[in-house]
Amino acid sequence: MILRLVIADGSQSPAVAESVEVGDDGALSGWRSVSDGGAGWFAGRLPEAELASVRAAVEAVGPVAPEVPARPDSAQEVLELDATGPVSIAGISDGTDGWPRLAATARGLLDRLTDFPRAAVAVSHPAPGVARLIQRGADPVRLDLSAIAVRAVAWRGYYEPAGDWSEVVAGPGEVEAGPGWTYDLALGLESAAAPADGEVVVHLTADFAILNGTTRIPVRARHTPAIPPP
Amino acid sequence: MPEASDERTRPVPRPLNVREPDPDTAGPIMTPGVGNAALARMIQRSPSGPAALPDLAMFGGNAQIARLVEGDSEPPAPGGGGAAPAPAGLGGGAHGEEVRDAQLKLSRVQASAQPLTEDGRYGPLTEAAVRTFQTSQGIAPVTGVLDPGTKARLDAAFAALPPPARTVLSLGATGPDVGFAQQKLNALGASPRLAINAVYDGAMWVAVIKYEFGTLNRFPTGVVDAAMWAALDAGVRGGFIAPEGQSATPVEQKTNSGTADSLGTQVAGTSLHPVTGVGGLTQGPAVKELQQKLNTAGAAPALKVDGSFGPLTRTALQAFQTSRVPPLPGTGTADKATWDALDTVAPGSMTGAVERQWTEEVGGHTYSMVGASASRYSWEILPTKMQVTVKVNFVGLPAPGSWFGFVEAVWNQYMGVDSVSGKKMPVDFRMTRGSGGDAMTVQVKPGTGRANAGEWFVADANAASTIPHEFGHLIGLQDEYQLHPGDYVRVTGHEPPVGDTAGAGLVAATVAANLRAAIMARSSANALAASNTAGVTGGAFAQQVVEEYRKLGPGTVPAVAAVPGPPPVPAQPAVALTGELLHDLDVALPNDSDRYETIQTFSYSSGSIMGDPGRVNDPHDHGTQPRHIAEFMAILGRALGGTWEAKRR
Repeated sequence: MILRLVIADGSQSPAVAESVEVGDDGALSGWRSVSDGGAGWFAGRLPEAELASVRAAVEAVGPVAPEVPARPDSAQEVLELDATGPVSIAGISDGTDGWPRLAATARGLLDRLTDFPRAAVAVSHPAPGVARLIQRGADPVRLDLSAIAVRAVAWRGYYEPAGDWSEVVAGPGEVEAGPGWTYDLALGLESAAAPADGEVVVHLTADFAILNGTTRIPVRARHTPAIPPP
Repeated sequence: MPEASDERTRPVPRPLNVREPDPDTAGPIMTPGVGNAALARMIQRSPSGPAALPDLAMFGGNAQIARLVEGDSEPPAPGGGGAAPAPAGLGGGAHGEEVRDAQLKLSRVQASAQPLTEDGRYGPLTEAAVRTFQTSQGIAPVTGVLDPGTKARLDAAFAALPPPARTVLSLGATGPDVGFAQQKLNALGASPRLAINAVYDGAMWVAVIKYEFGTLNRFPTGVVDAAMWAALDAGVRGGFIAPEGQSATPVEQKTNSGTADSLGTQVAGTSLHPVTGVGGLTQGPAVKELQQKLNTAGAAPALKVDGSFGPLTRTALQAFQTSRVPPLPGTGTADKATWDALDTVAPGSMTGAVERQWTEEVGGHTYSMVGASASRYSWEILPTKMQVTVKVNFVGLPAPGSWFGFVEAVWNQYMGVDSVSGKKMPVDFRMTRGSGGDAMTVQVKPGTGRANAGEWFVADANAASTIPHEFGHLIGLQDEYQLHPGDYVRVTGHEPPVGDTAGAGLVAATVAANLRAAIMARSSANALAASNTAGVTGGAFAQQVVEEYRKLGPGTVPAVAAVPGPPPVPAQPAVALTGELLHDLDVALPNDSDRYETIQTFSYSSGSIMGDPGRVNDPHDHGTQPRHIAEFMAILGRALGGTWEAKRR
């Protein structure tokens, strides 16, 4: 193992519980609970150049992490390296050298992870008034869709609020979602709060649960396309 | 900040509602102490045995008693004062303290449908409550306007509300009235402070004896009887449960415990001033403050207060430094020692800058804003208002324009009022873009996520509350959720609520033992099962559990390897348990929902913008509160003289 990062925050609902691990051979694996790329399992392999960059970031730090106190409202972030064991990096801001660089690299790997879905469900916005759950991976995943909390937020311009809609939708209950599985949900936003006039960007979240054996894990799939700065 | 409740997927125990106390509180009755013979008898009969001796031995001699009574019985900080004259009538769109006062009374006389949010805004719910009140009183015509006649009738109806029925309490008693008595004894100066555990134990017995002895001037009985209740209720208001609104919603009336300090705990040895001058800030409000204070200290020739640290300012600063006794090094740098000296000579100024290094403990975990992350803000007293500015260097993505409006919508609610002159000074807060040594740095990240004081998310759908909360940290305010009782009192200025006293019939020691077992097993699910799921909710019984847990003492939880999950859990080193429940839950358990909800039960949270409005639905302590801008009232006092209080605009 080259590194493992776990970010956890029980104050959120669903709780944030994210992990990413990079193996010596460049294998990348982990779990996302709240993500744009989907919630679930991810696994893949980093290209050699990226792996080298990760190795360089790890090798650039000393064996002792700086003790930087976390700011108010921070989540728990624990980075594990062979050389250091588990260290808290919650107080270390992203940077370009040393531990700040390594912290940024590790956090970035959580986003990179979502390029390798194994069994993960995302949400998209294929058409006005529709939110679509999509299974992105090749492995099946069991879902509890008995109650799906959907929220749509509309933005105008550069993140100026233009409407907000939420509802808890009764879904089909427990399902096994195989590759290519989709499930559409009706949104009340475009018809009510924000007309789809092309100037509005809609962000979505869908809260449901993934079943892992006997464990039910609340998760959130997000769809938050970036809005370019003015 | 904790996420709002509208996105929660699990039911959250609803805390007992609480209400702010009436602002005017009477002080205790001051009477001389009694003799040493009586003291000796009481010590012999102390139920706490030798443990009580240090407390009761303090009564040796009447002179000491008199001093103790003065020290222990300090009344709460006076509220009110400076009230504006009665208006001709308040109606839709009106705002201010009188509206807030009317909202409180309309709820208590059960004219509103539900307890009214005391926001000082005369909206439709307030108007409807006035109509209901007018109808019930036979006032015609029914206008929904709080005219002088209606107001007088409302005041009379409120004054005629029956006093709370009190239970006579003696050693061993339990129940809500014990908790309320503990609140009042604390508010009236009990030292050490009593835990609000609703158990009349030895510690409370000592406090009761001291109060009887010192304040009631009677031979101590150890019984909280009608006379003592009368004194406690006269000494500090609140401390009972009243039905509010036509819904008769039971609302715990808060017990004011004195002046609140909502700021984070300043790091010892640090200055509240940024280093200014050579090697420090050379432009801006800090330099203006320096120039003003040097002028007050006698700079000759007087400096132009232009906020630019030039040769004249440097020379004046060096002259000030070297003229101290003993002299300070003439460095031309206004460091802590120099600012301390300047503040002594010139306490007030019309503009200034703050750099606050502070820490807080939330949920048993310590967070900080120190060093480069220290809170930095400036203020200026203008002819018609006080302007507080936080300059933020946004890095990463640009900050959306709406964020700036969110800050002003939430924070620009108050004005300072000088209780002597009646002078009013609105206090406006603003967040601006900028950089430099006097700016805060906030990283703006893409998408959504959990904001903290230094990282905000550009697509945060809850930004209207998230950004004002984080802005509060930028002006040095600490969080008001998951606090220890002592921190809760300091931060909010009122006693922890009594809440649930029964604990669903559970035995506190058993709950504590089960929690310890869950902690040793690092199982947050077991911790939640031992507490919340078993029926423990926040309040006095939960504090009994905290005390029983403390008796279990220290321990060690072995290290554990990472658990891949899902959900994943990071590797954890061995941790030392202290017996302090919040700390032990925090260090030993995974940071998940079960841990968070367990900690919530054994701690205290406000419903204000700095608290946890998603979990604490408190219409009487919400949004920004006067306590949040107390620092700026003190600044007004130093600069303009008088005693300034924050009032709703």
